[in-house]
Amino acid sequence: MKEEFSEHEELLLKSWDTSVTPQERETLAAAMQNNPAIRSQSDQYQHLRTLLLRPQPDSFGPFFAERVMYMIKQRTQQIDYLIFFFFKKYQIVLLGVLVALFISNILLSDQLSVKGIFGLEQEADDDVFAIDIYEDLTK
Amino acid sequence: MVEPDDTELLERSRGGDMAAFKLLVQRYEGPVAGVIKPILGNTPEAEDVGQEVFIRFYDSLNKFRGDSKLSTYLIRIAINLSLNELKRKKRTNSHYATLEAAEGVKGVDEMMDLKEHLDYAFERLEPEFKAVATLRLIEGYSTEETAGILEIPLGTALSRLARAQQKLRISLSKKLKP
Repeated sequence: MKEEFSEHEELLLKSWDTSVTPQERETLAAAMQNNPAIRSQSDQYQHLRTLLLRPQPDSFGPFFAERVMYMIKQRTQQIDYLIFFFFKKYQIVLLGVLVALFISNILLSDQLSVKGIFGLEQEADDDVFAIDIYEDLTK
Repeated sequence: MVEPDDTELLERSRGGDMAAFKLLVQRYEGPVAGVIKPILGNTPEAEDVGQEVFIRFYDSLNKFRGDSKLSTYLIRIAINLSLNELKRKKRTNSHYATLEAAEGVKGVDEMMDLKEHLDYAFERLEPEFKAVATLRLIEGYSTEETAGILEIPLGTALSRLARAQQKLRISLSKKLKP
């Protein structure tokens, strides 16, 4: 149920939370003097505000900061762990591919040399150019 | 010994100094608890949200450029997270709701003293009223600061504040001083 404010009630609350004009202050003072209902409301609001205002700082109990720091540390470790395993997954896949290539090269290679295993072709003697450096220099 | 100011602690925290960050947590635990607890009550969720505020702050240390005061920044996070939590839970399993279910509203009314009655009435306020009332009436921020923290116009803050007080007064009218 929405209850409407009386003009004076609104003014009363306004006067506690923001600045009011001299004219508004006069209106309120007159109402407080002549209207017992607004005086009673004023007392009730003041009582309410006193009850609500926190006398001392609140807290989450002892060792709250320590608990927060522990959470942060634990979370950081968790993230590191996840990153490690995320990349580890790819490292394992990459290693598997390399092993598969290595095995396929061994199976397909007709010569069991190191170059053959790694898929490097053996160069025929005819393909090797001999560079005679002295000949080139004396030209 | 002079306590290091926020700027120095922030710089050190950005550099990975966890002790400096812990000092910031200790320094701002009070104001953060002061806005979360009235909204969520003295519940385990309130502390979870409190921890989340500082964890988010830690994550965004490099984003905080000091455009607003650190207290304002933290309280804004605290209010937003509390209201989100409130929406999520809808407070259906609150202490008072359980009491109400067990005893009926009239029974609860008789069992509670004035402070409990006030907490009960406060818990039933709409979230937007609760946020304004928490900052202004419980934590004692000025109306301008309250509007600034919540990023709402001053007039809106004033009208929500008045409406919240009126609701509280009406629900407590029998128990408050005449």
